[in-house]
Amino acid sequence: MTNKVLTRREFLRTTTETARNSLILLSAPALLAAGQQAHAAMLAGEELTTLTVIEAIEFEAIASRIIPTDETPGAKEAGVIYFIDNVLGNSRAELLPELRTGLSQLQQSVDSKFGNPMFSALTADQQDSLLQDIEKTTFFTDVRYLAVAGMFSMPSLGGNRDRVGWEVMGFEDRHAWVSPYGYYDAQQMDSEK
Amino acid sequence: MAQATFPTRQEVDFVVVGSGSAGGIVARELAMAGFSTVVLEQGPYLRPSDFNHDEWAVTQNEELAWGPRKGHPQTFRRYEHEKAELSDRANLGYAHNVGGSSVHFSGNFWRLRPIDFMERSVRGEISGTTFADWPISYEELEPYYTRVEWEIGISGLAGPWDPPRSRDYPMEPLPPKASGVLLEQAASKLGWTAYPQPHAILSKAFNGRPGCIHCGFCNGFGCEVGAKSSTAEAMIPQALESGNCELRTGCTVSRVETNSAGRVTEVVYWEEDGTEQSQRAKAVVLCANGAETPRLLLLSETSRAPNGLANSSGMVGKNLMFNGGSNTAGMFEHPINAHKSVATTRVIHDFYSIDPSHGFYGGGGIDERHLARGLPMSLALRGPRFSDASWGSDFKKAVSQEFTHACSFNGHTTTLPQLTNNVSLDPEVKDMWGRPALRTTFMNHPDDFATMKFFAERGEELMEAAGATQIASSYASEGQNGGVHLLGTCRMGDDPENSVVNRFNRAHDVPNLFMVDGSSMTTSGRGQPTMTIMALAFRAADNLIQSAKRGEI
Repeated sequence: MTNKVLTRREFLRTTTETARNSLILLSAPALLAAGQQAHAAMLAGEELTTLTVIEAIEFEAIASRIIPTDETPGAKEAGVIYFIDNVLGNSRAELLPELRTGLSQLQQSVDSKFGNPMFSALTADQQDSLLQDIEKTTFFTDVRYLAVAGMFSMPSLGGNRDRVGWEVMGFEDRHAWVSPYGYYDAQQMDSEK
Repeated sequence: MAQATFPTRQEVDFVVVGSGSAGGIVARELAMAGFSTVVLEQGPYLRPSDFNHDEWAVTQNEELAWGPRKGHPQTFRRYEHEKAELSDRANLGYAHNVGGSSVHFSGNFWRLRPIDFMERSVRGEISGTTFADWPISYEELEPYYTRVEWEIGISGLAGPWDPPRSRDYPMEPLPPKASGVLLEQAASKLGWTAYPQPHAILSKAFNGRPGCIHCGFCNGFGCEVGAKSSTAEAMIPQALESGNCELRTGCTVSRVETNSAGRVTEVVYWEEDGTEQSQRAKAVVLCANGAETPRLLLLSETSRAPNGLANSSGMVGKNLMFNGGSNTAGMFEHPINAHKSVATTRVIHDFYSIDPSHGFYGGGGIDERHLARGLPMSLALRGPRFSDASWGSDFKKAVSQEFTHACSFNGHTTTLPQLTNNVSLDPEVKDMWGRPALRTTFMNHPDDFATMKFFAERGEELMEAAGATQIASSYASEGQNGGVHLLGTCRMGDDPENSVVNRFNRAHDVPNLFMVDGSSMTTSGRGQPTMTIMALAFRAADNLIQSAKRGEI
């Protein structure tokens, strides 16, 4: 399924499908909130190939707590969600059903605590606290796996946009390097001069 | 000259199964000596332009290696009374491409030393093991080590740290990295010697191939310029140019057929699309590695050899050894950037043989490396060594700090041979061809653990001397559950009762069948076996050629 810029009707159909997938019916105010966020996300005009818009918003919110935006760029700036969307459509398609079930369980837990199923609508502290509760689950480990992989993979795979992940790591993908490579070998070369 | 082609019904002189470190050399030697040779290789022939820096594809999607994602599941258990469990990765790691694991190895090329070949005599029996002398000596293998250095292309610096050598290296060593400088300085403070790591990586243009450009995507990756001395670059092209060798890629051997006289007659295999073929041959050389060679022998059982071909000793698949190891991570004040250039540039061999007064057998070497093979995704997926954070801002800071400012001092150690450590056929799990999956049974000997611990402690002393601000050691204290050095599973020996191949790699049971790869190694050596696998391949090929010329195959 490809979502580009959605019409209101298409968006409503998308969210209804998600609601069905999520095993819960979204309440009207939640739907409105979700709609506003989805709309915001779509402003970038990015294309999804596997996930629904709502799923993408929710997984991006989780990925953004795994690799947060702080003094340096995080999963959001790196476009990690587009890597996740990409690999869930091919080499990691086997993870998709379990991730959808896990997301819906997380949303149920969000709904019962906050009266709104959208994880992405919570504050960072609320999100962290919920994720701490599930950090040993396969669902969380799998989202972490994909988020981290997306942050540091080749940009052609969808994430690590503008190589921000590599920049955060202090890694530069060059074809060739010339010695000295670090401080201590440079120091030794200097002392031998 | 164009690559030769042979009809499958024509009896060629040799079929070589596998084109890796050993197979590439054996094929080149036989073909250049004028023998018609067919090489069967499971994987494709990838050349430098096929390789890239795609960490996701290489480390996570098994692009250069067999594994469960590619339809090759493996199972693992500690002890023989247990049921082996399906693994989510390949316990026995190896490549599936022309050149085998020499395409993606880090190319540390230590020779064995005289002691390795006669250690059982020197040290005596070790309880619970099949520790034995090799049937050959260092002196017998030395000319072939020299041939590896000059014909494969090895960079290094000869010195007092070396075992005896008949000729200098063909080229100077690669320049030290910051981590190498730290190891060298620390060793010197402690009265030990760190010397330049010998590499199967060219430091300058040699034999028509260029020198290393230090891109850093070395260990686990194929070389984009062909500076790594894989058999795919150094040997196979010469084999094909001889006009006597046909390389068939995408061909998976299912069975080696024998006749009523107990001689090998043909090799049955599947082409990529599943078509079954069979190549007739006067003799067969299995170079399929320490996992696949014994598996193929076990799969080739007959009514005359009900326990597997060439297995009257019961030793096929037994005595599996990996080489143990230790890893001591250290954090430093200034950037190290160990992700640049090759995996490691200095090595210490002061503890090649741990003094017997320590009360256990063992030995090895110590080199320096990046914490995660220089790979950002791999480091982040595994998580930091100096923080418990696995996600969040603390995680992000910790991994980025460790990526550039940390390195590790790694021990590479002996593994003792034991009958209870082995490769066998899984009774339930099947691979994509419907063959029984590889089943590994493995638990380290107490002396293996003592050795790994010893090296972790030396690693800590070195890190301290190097001025690390934080230090953390680890080793497989619960036992190793796999490895990429697949050794000992068709061991070489003079006695057909307790070994599989003789001193010239010929099967004791089958006169025209040879096994040449890590499976021949009688003991594990100290951690970097490929140099020895290649030297054994040159030596076995030399003897094959002489025997064939005398009509003795």
